[in-house]
This record gives sequence, structure tokens and C-alpha cells, in this order.
Amino acid sequence: MNYEHCIRCTICVENCPVFRVNPDFPGPKQAGPDAQRFRSEKEKAQDEWVFLCSQCKRCEMACPCGVEPAQIILREQQRYGKEHPQTATHLLFANNYYLSALGSLTAPLANKFASTETGKNILRKIGISTYIPFPKFSFRTMRQGKKNLNKGTKKVAFFYGCFINFYRPDIGRKIVRLLAAMNVDVVLPPQWCCGLPALGNGNLALAKYFAQKNASSLSDYIDAGYDIVYACTSCGLCILHDYPGIMEIPQGKKIAESSYNLHEYIIKLINEGYAKPEFGKVRRKIAYHIPCHLRALKIGYPAQKLMATIPGLECEIFDDTCCGLSGSYGFKENNEFTAIQIGNRAVSLIKKTGAKNIVADCGSCRMQLEGLSGITALDPAEILCESLNITNQK
Amino acid sequence: MSVTEYDVVIIGAGAAGLTTGALLAERGFNVALVTTGEPTACLSTGCIDVCSCDENPLTGIKNLPPEHPFHLVDEKTIRQSLNYFQTVMMDMGMPYAGSIEKNRSVVSALGTFKTSCLVPSTMEAAPQNNTDSIHIVTFKGIKDFYPGYIVSRRKNTNFSVFDAGVYSIMSIASRFEDKNFFERFIIWMDKLRIDEDKIALPAVAGLESASEIVNSIAVLMGKPVFEIPTIPPSMPGRRLFNALKKYFRKKGGAIYWAWPVVGTEKTGKLIEAVTTHSEGRPNSINARAFILGTGSFVGGGLTATRQDITENVFNLPVHISGPRETWFDNDYFSLNHGIGRAGIIVDSSMRPADSPWNNIFLCGGILAETEILKNGCGHGLALATAHAAAQSCAEYLSHEL
Repeated sequence: MNYEHCIRCTICVENCPVFRVNPDFPGPKQAGPDAQRFRSEKEKAQDEWVFLCSQCKRCEMACPCGVEPAQIILREQQRYGKEHPQTATHLLFANNYYLSALGSLTAPLANKFASTETGKNILRKIGISTYIPFPKFSFRTMRQGKKNLNKGTKKVAFFYGCFINFYRPDIGRKIVRLLAAMNVDVVLPPQWCCGLPALGNGNLALAKYFAQKNASSLSDYIDAGYDIVYACTSCGLCILHDYPGIMEIPQGKKIAESSYNLHEYIIKLINEGYAKPEFGKVRRKIAYHIPCHLRALKIGYPAQKLMATIPGLECEIFDDTCCGLSGSYGFKENNEFTAIQIGNRAVSLIKKTGAKNIVADCGSCRMQLEGLSGITALDPAEILCESLNITNQK
Repeated sequence: MSVTEYDVVIIGAGAAGLTTGALLAERGFNVALVTTGEPTACLSTGCIDVCSCDENPLTGIKNLPPEHPFHLVDEKTIRQSLNYFQTVMMDMGMPYAGSIEKNRSVVSALGTFKTSCLVPSTMEAAPQNNTDSIHIVTFKGIKDFYPGYIVSRRKNTNFSVFDAGVYSIMSIASRFEDKNFFERFIIWMDKLRIDEDKIALPAVAGLESASEIVNSIAVLMGKPVFEIPTIPPSMPGRRLFNALKKYFRKKGGAIYWAWPVVGTEKTGKLIEAVTTHSEGRPNSINARAFILGTGSFVGGGLTATRQDITENVFNLPVHISGPRETWFDNDYFSLNHGIGRAGIIVDSSMRPADSPWNNIFLCGGILAETEILKNGCGHGLALATAHAAAQSCAEYLSHEL
């Protein structure tokens, strides 16, 4: 590990959204490279506070010396998780996939439960915070299989991710239509949770289990000539970075080589002359909140490039603020205060612009920012669809 | 519209890189900036040292040794670059005070005077000599600022300690933007009944709106207030970086973070693309021209080994003072370490000398013979050479079309 390269300049600490609001977290420098010097494989992991890190990876983006504090902390989270009994909330959120699947199956009931006071009280009792409305489960999830919308020569296997699947399959279906409009043959391959929630809750074994299942499925599609396209930036980062990295998935590198961010892929199609979308007017001002994990993908901001070509659309970028929710992080009651504080800062900057919509690639960012601000949050794909006049109606 | 094709790619996010980027973007070029992380500008005092060897920076520059890169830039461009900087910073809500014809002093965290040319307006009221009495307001538990150093050096200096409830510079600075916190702070200060001429704060008065915050304290207390730059984490340095970054972005520049350049693609006399690490497909960005503003050793532009010094991005020939014995003076605190002269020699068009590349332009600390510590010319040189590099690069790009 590269912690010896740390020159203790504290630039990472200045960029840590958690450190700024929660004095209990010693910051990425001390939790990462500093503490790592004293950690030994021979001793039991003892820094429970490593779980106060939300894994936004802002420290890694800021470090001038190429140290990866978040990665050091992530590894320590896995070690701690392995050597100590899992708490109920950690287990719950690591298994978010099964929980959501259950929620979707019983959607009317589950949504009713999560919206009543009694339900909220019970959620709080088990350590789940309820400051923003719990996302509504969707009864109708994404149907796997081939979407016979187009017969183009480009073939895409769409990794939609849990958020789209269980909560907002309408966005997922729009993305399928968007890709079809680019003359692409779309398939929804068999897929499971990407594994990131399990990783974030210190459960490497479970994360690997999910990752391996996905890897086998996606790998078959790559062999059959498909490109993988993901829409959720956190799923994407996990697939590109953690599959070949900390999870050591054998097919990891191969999958990373063939996986594209949705908007990156559309731009690729346009550049190759394969697709020629004609973007229509969308007269509106939007605040584009850049998810931390999009920054961490190191591909720039492709959705912004596409949106910049939409006539009438006025777009202001916010990439200095984290939304604070970080997937399951903010839903844990002991992180609630931290998540709200971080989110409010982002919201106060967005509100100053007078933007009509918040746009963000990440479902959990949208949930948090919409919950805290009351401004409707959209996926960039929804803006593109609006501009191209693509709807879910036939 | 490619994600990865630009007119210019800037390497390095310091004052030099961001300024060149903004200048080129203003001229209508499609600009991207790649950087390993945040620049050493974040660790700086935020002051713009132009040349601290003389009372008048312009005279100081004239007296620099002939090989100094400042001589590549004419006086008009130097003046223009500082004016441009002041306009940009005013636009970004972080005005700078000072004049190119006269250096001024800033009180350092050790109680000494630091000579600089342009300073953030939050430091404008700093005493220029030892006569003014000062009351320092510091914060409980703060680890990077000790008023004792200043009190022991200056007469008529006292200090009080405020309990902000948080103990890091960053956390206190972000509290200052909160209205309730600010009111609590002012009520507490009111009770101090300060007699001294001036009030000093370590540089923690906010992140985005420091200038307004310091102003309001001064108005409410009826006395001049100034900030004292701290050791890193340095808020004035961060504000400078944030403002330049915001301006660059406003002009349409794109920034790629955690993007250390590890390889290049070239044909003939041209660099075609730069590449970074990637778990998946090769991650590269194409451009017609490249600006190298990676700084020297701390910034990551140069690496020294036991034997020699290398340039990290394009492997350009590095100018060194001589064999290793000449790199360091025996006195650690000496300003005459030969290593301060290491860097890349450029021609008048800011292209690297003795190298085949036609589309690389250099600016800032990567240049040879700067001796930044000795001459006190870091940010000033960065801004001036940024203008020169942007000019050459723009001419090249227009000509190439």
C-alpha cells in the first residue's frame, strides 16, 4: 500500500465532507495513512470509527501524492467487519439487495409501512434514519431479457443497478429507449447488487459473492460481443475499480475494459458516426450535482458534455459538494446528523442558483438532494429523453 | 464533441495552469485540465509574491540574473498578468490589494514580516511595521496556530481565545459562514473591549466569503481586522485555488481529478495524447497542444534521485546547477541551495529548449533558474509566464488551423 507517500499536507482533510461536520471522525489523513502505520495484521482491528468514512473518495481525488486514503480505510473496514460481529444495521444494509427485492414484491404494503409514523418509529428503532422519505419501492421492476426495440449492430448489456430496478424502473425503461433511439440493440442481462453496499458495511465476503455472480453473467455477454453500459455511477465505480481491485474478481479486468458510463457510451456512438441524435429544446435552468463517484471514475463529466448541446438548457455544475447520503451511509441513524449537515451545504449552494431541477447521475444523491431541498431531482438521462422526446408510452 | 478530445490539455492545477487554462478558454479554445490532486497553491499563504528582493518588484525583476525566466516576459505582460489576476479575483468575490510598484508586508504566523506584492484583502490591514499594537483572537484547541510566537516577537501584542466548539482550521472556517456562529463570535468579541489598534485572526474567517466576513468584523468592532496566514491547512491558499478553479470552470474549462499523466502518445514533433492509469480501457485525452504547469519538486513536476533530476510528464531535459555536490548548501536555512535552480529551460515562445516537441508550452515553477524561495517570486512568476505561455499556445493553435 502506498501510505508511505503521504507528506501529511492535509489537503485530503480539507476535502473530507465528514471531517468538516463530525469531530468524531479523525479525517482521511489520520484514519488512512497515519493510522495505517500502526496497524498490524497480527493484531485485531480496533478502529470502529473507520465506519464513519462514507467512501466518497474525495480524499483520493485531492491527494497530490497519489495516496489513496479512502482505499486504505476501505480495507480496514473490511478487516474490522471480518474480525468483529456484524451489527444489525450493517447486516441489513449489506443485504440491501434482498431487502429491496422483498420490498418490491410487497411494494404497496412496504411503502405504506415506511410512510406511517409507526413504520418510521420501527425503522428508527432498528437504527434506520427517516429524515428524508424512504424511497418508494416499485412493484414492477426491470424485466430481464432482450429488448426488441432495435436491431442495430451495436449490442449493449445494460447494468441498471438496484436503485433503478427497485425504486425507479421508469428511469431504467427510459434509458433502454434512449439507447434504442441511438440504434443500439439492448439486453438486460441477469444481474444482482453490484456489491458496493456490502463493501461499505465491511462485508467483503458478501460483496465478493455478488460480484462473482455479476462477473460470470456480464463476462458471457462480453464474449458474445456486447458492451456493458451502466447508469449508476457508484455501481460503475465498483465494477471498474473494486472488481479488479479489492474484490480480486478473475474476470474483473476484462469487464472493466468493456464497461461504459451511459453518457460516455452515447458520446462514443456519436463520435464514431454511429448515432446522430438531434437534441431538441429544453428551456430550463438546472443545477448539475456531480456525484462523488462520477469524479472518481476519471472520465470527466460526459453527461454535461451531452447536455451542453441541448439548446435552451442552462446548466451550472457543482462538483465541490458531496450530498452526504452516500448510499446506505446516511440511512444509519448515527450518521444522520453528518449526512444532513453535508447535504444542507450542497443544497444551500444549489438554491442560490434558482435552478428548477437538480440533475445527478446517482440515485442516492437525487434522493438526498430532493429530500432536503424540495427541488425535483432528475437523472441526466431524463433530460436527454425529454430533449429527444422519448417517453415510456408506446 | 468527444469526451477526450480538446484543443489544449493543461497539466497541473496551480496558479499557472488554471490561469493559462482560463486565458485559452476565453479565446474560445476547448480546454481540459488534468491534475494528480490539488495543487501546492492550496498550501500557500494565498499571497502573490512577484519579486521580494526589492521594495519595488519591477526593479527587483530587472536585477534578477539574466537567466531568470522572468526576463522572458516583458514588463507590459507582467503588469497585464497581475491586473488580469486582480480582475478575476474581484469577479470571484475575493479581492486582492496591492500594487505592482510597491511590495507590502504580511504578518506571518511566527510574528515575522513576509514581503509580498498582492495580498488577499483580508490581510490588507496587516501592520507594515512594529508600532501598531495588536490583539490576536485565536481559537481553542487549534493545532496550526500559536499566538505565543507572535506575542514573544512583538511589543503591545495580546491575545484571547475563543471556543468555537471545533478544533481544526477547516471546521472553524466553515462555521464562520454560519450566521448564528458569526453572531456568537461577535457578541463574545464585544465583551473583550479590545484597546489595541488592530485585531488579528488566524486565517480561518470563512471559505467562500472571507473578504465580507473580515469586513463585517472590522465594521462591527470599529477597528482594522486582518488575517494571519497559517501553516497548512492554509485557508487563503485554498480560497485562491477555489477562486481560480471556479473562474476556469466558468470559462468552460473541464477538470479531470486524480489524473496523473503516466504516458504520452506522440508522432513526429507533436505530442498527441496523454494517458493515465486505468483498471479498464486505456484512459487517454487527445489534444493539439499541451501546457505543462506541474511545478517543481513539491508540486510533482520534477523528481530527484541520488544521481539526477527528471521531469515527470514528457521526460524533458532538466537543467541542473551541476553535480550533486552543488545541489545543497551546508546551511539548511540558506536560500542558495543549487537545487532551487533546477527545471526546464524554455525559449522565448515558452517551448522547452533542446527538445523536439513543437506543441508543449511551459509556465510556472517547472521553469529553470527560478530560485523561487530566494527571489520570492512564486505566484507572480506563475501568473506572468501563464500569460506568455497562453499567448504562444494561442498563436500556435490559430496558425495550425
